[in-house]
Amino acid sequence: MLRAEHLSKTYVTTDWSGFLKRKKSKVEAVRDVSLEMRGGQIIGLLGINGAGKTTTIKMLSTLLQPTSGSIDVDGLDGVRDAIEIKKRINMIAGGERMIYWRLTARENLWYYGQLYGIDNKQLAQRIERLLGMVGLAEKQDIPVERFSKGMKQRLQIARGLINDPGYIFMDEPTLGLDAAIAKELRGYVKDLACKEGKSILLTTHYIQEVEELCEYVYVMDKGTVIAQGTPKELALLGMENKVLCVELHENHERLHRSLTEACQSAERNCSIIWDGKNMAYTITSSKDLSSTVAKVLLEQQAVFKKFYGQEPGLEDAIIKLSRRDKDGFFYEGTEGRDEKTA
Amino acid sequence: MGSFMKVLKAEMRKQHKNYFFNKSIYITLFIWPLLTFISAYYCYKPFRLDKIVGGLDYVNESNLVVFVLIGYLSLVFFRCFVQSAWRFSMERTFGTLELIYLTPANRLAFIMGNAVSSLFESIWLFVVFASGIFVLNASAYNIDMLSAMLGIILLIVLSILWGMLLNALFLFSRDSSFLFTVLEEPMEIFAGIKVPAAVFPIWAKAISAVFPLTYIAEMLRRIFIKGDGLVQIKGFVLISILIGFAILSITILCLKLGERHAKKTGSMALF
Ligand SMILES: Nc1ncnc2c1ncn2[C@@H]1O[C@H](COP(=O)(O)OP(=O)(O)OP(=O)(O)O)[C@@H](O)[C@H]1O
Ligand SMILES: [Mg+2]
Repeated sequence: MLRAEHLSKTYVTTDWSGFLKRKKSKVEAVRDVSLEMRGGQIIGLLGINGAGKTTTIKMLSTLLQPTSGSIDVDGLDGVRDAIEIKKRINMIAGGERMIYWRLTARENLWYYGQLYGIDNKQLAQRIERLLGMVGLAEKQDIPVERFSKGMKQRLQIARGLINDPGYIFMDEPTLGLDAAIAKELRGYVKDLACKEGKSILLTTHYIQEVEELCEYVYVMDKGTVIAQGTPKELALLGMENKVLCVELHENHERLHRSLTEACQSAERNCSIIWDGKNMAYTITSSKDLSSTVAKVLLEQQAVFKKFYGQEPGLEDAIIKLSRRDKDGFFYEGTEGRDEKTA
Repeated sequence: MGSFMKVLKAEMRKQHKNYFFNKSIYITLFIWPLLTFISAYYCYKPFRLDKIVGGLDYVNESNLVVFVLIGYLSLVFFRCFVQSAWRFSMERTFGTLELIYLTPANRLAFIMGNAVSSLFESIWLFVVFASGIFVLNASAYNIDMLSAMLGIILLIVLSILWGMLLNALFLFSRDSSFLFTVLEEPMEIFAGIKVPAAVFPIWAKAISAVFPLTYIAEMLRRIFIKGDGLVQIKGFVLISILIGFAILSITILCLKLGERHAKKTGSMALF
């Protein structure tokens, strides 16, 4: 079992503002987070950008030293026994980095296997099995640079299993993959937990993934765990909310202000999220704001594609839990919330 | 020890596949040293080497080629790392360094693997060429085999240690282009490869004292041209060993500090 207790991490960064002047700044990325991972369990770690998920994962995987708190992996201490722990864990991140493009799939796996000091014969067998599992057996001798994104990600998964870890941390493993491949990857993840008894911690921005995979979920915001429970329990937290979606044809500058003003005056605790990529607003509040929103759309003569109400789910619970500053209001510039660069 | 060798071998193989995939690289590795060798030869030519006080009395018109060649050969040994260390630092930006740090692999073995592989990959062609010239010219000299062997071993060991130091520095440095400029040209000049170190004013001699290449090149020249034996070169051997230890200590320190810094700040760039 892996148990983390009261983990905190404060980054101290030094910026040179002049030739000799330097400024130290502190970012409290994680504050007092406790969590547990057991064999055969998939745990979700959710939260908006910057909530502290990656920082938490890096602490659990010994890449970062916690400012305070303790980590215990099968009775080993996270700081003192880091080398021993490294043999029992692994991390899989999304994106196309972190593999050698000029090496073939097999060579990549062989290299990392050697770093773990795995016996050559055992390693050869394991590579065979892993390549088969992620469906790269036929492409094993092609340089990775000729792989598609999905193939690279599958290789990433095989790499993350090369040392047969008991605990696997996955940081947005389906980032940037199409729906079909993401689904396939979810299948692997599920099998790893159910069939092989691995313990998996998963961060993701796709709620569907959490609903499908995770047994237990921690929701983080501003570095702390603000809610935890099964996905069903958490979804209930958002139930009393009403969710409206407006999809536009084009960006409409004036609409931003009038919509936020109108909604806020009708209901102080509402949240409006602008998704610049899909040109869509998601408005979540405890009251039904459909007539208010409709009025603004008419007034501003906004041409919209769709305007509809939505069943609140886990996503709304997370929005509700996460982004409420002191005015209970949140407005997210023009950046899409699903747009993320690796 | 077994796992040290495993990591070392794996790293060498990876670097070989990752960087030396393209055969044309050998042309640049050969043509470039050759051109600079020729330019160094004509750099030396105007100096009356036998008139320089401080021990270059063994050089004359007829052995100048070998004199420059040995210096140049040593330089190639030491300089081949700058480029590969620079490519090596890409591991940080590409995220693979983080994955390596996620493994229990020995960090020293890892950077040593890179140094050894880049050394043997980049110099062999030039070594063949140099040996050819040397054999054509060497019949007149009488060389002490034991010191020749020791000299070559020291050349290899020290250059690998030097490469490891560069790798460690580049790996954790935010701006590796700075190191590139600092280490490329000055080493060639100050180590007495392009210009005899003996003509330097005292401050420049102080700079040349930092580069292990200075001692190695001078030692090899004495062994192969002057015919010095173990007794005459023992001072050079001693200094080389001392510098070797110093370099290794700095490398280990740099790796330790780098990893500690990374664990603290989440950033692999130490300076
Ligand atoms: N190396 C670092 N130095 C300083 N601050 C950092 C560093 N890494 C992260 N942070 C800060 O710590 C906070 C948490 O970042 P973290 O990467 O853990 O968030 P996250 O939940 O993974 O976000 P995302 O969903 O965007 O991946 C952010 O405010 C971020 O700016
Ligand atoms: Mg993250």
